[in-house]
Amino acid sequence: MFSLSYAWNELHRRLGRTLVTAIGLAAGVGLVMGIIGVSQGLSDAQTKALSPLGSVGTDIIVTRTVAPTLSTATTTTTTFGGFGGGSGGGGSFAGGGGFFGGRGNAALNSSDTAALDAANSSVITDLAKLGPAGTKFTHDFFVPGTLITFPSKAVSDVAKVKGVTSAVGALSLDALHETGTVPKITASVKTGGQTISASVKPPVLTAAQQAAERTCIEGLINKQVGSTTTTIAGAAPGGPTSGGGFGGGGGFRFGAGASSAFAKCLTPAQKAYQQNVVVPEQTVNEVLNPPTTNTKTSTYTVAGVNPSNTTSGLVTKAQLVKGTWLSTTPSTAATQVLVTTAYASQEGLKLDQTLSINSVKYKIVGLVNPTLTGDVSDIYFSLANLQTLSTNQSRVNEVLVSVANAKDVNAVAKAIKKELPGATVLTSKSLADQVTGSLSNARKLANDLGGALAVVVLLAAFLIAGLLTLSSVSKRVREIGSLRAIGWSRGRVVRQIMAETIGIGVIGGVLGIGIGVVICLIIGAVGPALSVSSTGLAVGASSVSGLVHQTTSATVATTVHLTAPIRVFTIVIAFVGALLGGLIAGAVGGWRAARLSPSSALRDLG
Amino acid sequence: MTETSTVESAGSAPGSALYELRGVTRTFAKGSVAVNALRGIDLDINRGEMLVLEGPSGSGKSTLLQLLGALDTPTSGQIRFAGRSLENESDQVLTEIRSKEIGFVFQQFNLIPTLSADDNVAIAMVPREPSRDKRSARARELLTQVGLEHRFGHLPSRLSGGEQQRVAIARALANRPEVIIADEPTGNLDSDNAKEFMTLLHDLHERSGVTIIIATHDEDIASTTQRRIRLRDGSIMADTRN
Repeated sequence: MFSLSYAWNELHRRLGRTLVTAIGLAAGVGLVMGIIGVSQGLSDAQTKALSPLGSVGTDIIVTRTVAPTLSTATTTTTTFGGFGGGSGGGGSFAGGGGFFGGRGNAALNSSDTAALDAANSSVITDLAKLGPAGTKFTHDFFVPGTLITFPSKAVSDVAKVKGVTSAVGALSLDALHETGTVPKITASVKTGGQTISASVKPPVLTAAQQAAERTCIEGLINKQVGSTTTTIAGAAPGGPTSGGGFGGGGGFRFGAGASSAFAKCLTPAQKAYQQNVVVPEQTVNEVLNPPTTNTKTSTYTVAGVNPSNTTSGLVTKAQLVKGTWLSTTPSTAATQVLVTTAYASQEGLKLDQTLSINSVKYKIVGLVNPTLTGDVSDIYFSLANLQTLSTNQSRVNEVLVSVANAKDVNAVAKAIKKELPGATVLTSKSLADQVTGSLSNARKLANDLGGALAVVVLLAAFLIAGLLTLSSVSKRVREIGSLRAIGWSRGRVVRQIMAETIGIGVIGGVLGIGIGVVICLIIGAVGPALSVSSTGLAVGASSVSGLVHQTTSATVATTVHLTAPIRVFTIVIAFVGALLGGLIAGAVGGWRAARLSPSSALRDLG
Repeated sequence: MTETSTVESAGSAPGSALYELRGVTRTFAKGSVAVNALRGIDLDINRGEMLVLEGPSGSGKSTLLQLLGALDTPTSGQIRFAGRSLENESDQVLTEIRSKEIGFVFQQFNLIPTLSADDNVAIAMVPREPSRDKRSARARELLTQVGLEHRFGHLPSRLSGGEQQRVAIARALANRPEVIIADEPTGNLDSDNAKEFMTLLHDLHERSGVTIIIATHDEDIASTTQRRIRLRDGSIMADTRN
């Protein structure tokens, strides 16, 4: 069909022209490889960051969150009024009402109410009940936050939905760790120092009483004067007035100054009067400073997983980095925990170390690296254990659902929503839709512009190759004319030129793959960091911020380094692109050559 | 495309008519002006003839050569070549005829610069001979015939003008043509090489009896051939035989 040796000789004996054209194509496909690589890198990053469910063998997560608005539930606010502040109002529990048991009922059923009350009321620290002043205390509170718990029965309900292969219950809670010393609560109140005055009008004595008193007193005086005359005289150096002074003393005197000896001369009315004097009522007010305590709080997150299910859950056995999985024996698992590597390094925790939580020692049996974005807890307990620990017996707040067929995810999600009104049903896609941040922007950009850019770059490369081939053909007018003259058909000449340009395409493809690999490696080496934020993930009990007044953001941010992976697909695309460029160039050159008249060989072209 | 063996067997005898031209004209449109390059040519050429077309530039010499070489078709008139009409044939058929029956030698040699001497000869056989080895063997045989057995692998750029033209002759002979058409074959050669080339051509003519048509304005060359056809303004002025 064409002369291979002729094509080969054309290519290698006109190496400069061959290389220029090939490099033009190579630069094009190399750039396209880079573009595809970046696009795939972004896609990979997004898949990694945004499809968290798949990584834990889960397609759907069912939760029940506090709904922010509600029309008919004003009557149900009472129970949780104290907790509503941070999370959209207590009344909104009713938004999720009718979840289980009371389906369709706008109000939260009573067992849920009691369970939630029990779960959330644990977060009250009554210093008075912690012991005498100076006692050191430490306590961990577990609260479900916005992820309201529900009876485990929901798990089996979900499992019955058509298309569901497995449904696993999980409990994801916020923990509040509090340590401190019970303070001494004292207040000093000063009283007394007041002057109390009372005006008293003694009752008028009858003549008989006066006579009796006088007789009594005179009797006493005479008795005393007879034995103590000198004493009195000596006691009254004041001179002539001293006798009168005694007379003054002879008046009715009350109180401490009166000689008790005279008291018995008083009438009963006079005695009683003395006893009935009352101090005016008085209120003492003093501002007391609250006791200073050294109570410190820290928060962390905990989750309960089923130890016997190692493939589906908030953390899976595959994500175990070090150590072992929780024991399947409940009594052993009761003192075991798994800790995420991030939390362990943050807190300096090591494998086999023990953690003391509410006076129970837990052994860290394994370090895990869970990937469920937005729902990574710090410590993982066995589910049963955490249920007991957090007073959430037989309750969970997440159901992780695996679906038999990926195509059915949306249908199953719909069915679950129908089965459990008020449930928040999350699928990978709905999670991905909530993603923002530079990665999302970059991916969008890559999708929007990358494709167009790749096409433009390829077209430019094709154009260059086509023009170079055209110019080369034009320079070979006599040569091509001679071939036509000596009996080469148009088709043969075109095929020959095509063979040459395809050869150039092959060379360009090989060079281009090299260029593309280098570009991808450079991107990988200097790859900029991209942030991924997924807001509004209803997974994870982030509303604890409302309880502890911390500014924990509900946004989960991840940083992903941009890489440009090189796939077989990319290489094939690059090579095919270069070949296509060669073909196009050949078509252009061939079209030009075919239009050359064989008689051009005879013309005097200088 | 049909096999022309009948034609070959019918008219391969020396002296039989190879070309019969009757009232051949060729008009080129040069802008709005029609240029009458040939104005009614009547010409018979027999097999085994060696003749020269002479005339100043613009005489229609090259145009006639193109028609004889099946590179072009006339505006009017008939051309019969080896018993077959060329005037209405398609490019495909003309290409086939050129490949099979006509060998060309050009003034500029027109060798392919990237191919060695033997490949340049072999390239002419590509449409007819599928075996590369056979092409190569024949190319070397032909190059040996023209005295270039020591130059097989040389690129045209490393050959002298005379050597290049000898490669061109070898190429022209590659498909065992009925006729060799040479357009100013010595125009780019010095007189020694030109003489040497003409000697080779005469030698070839005598040995193989191939018809040779040479366009030239070199009197030395023209004087060596049996027949001279002089053209002027698109017409034959003289047709003389020595």
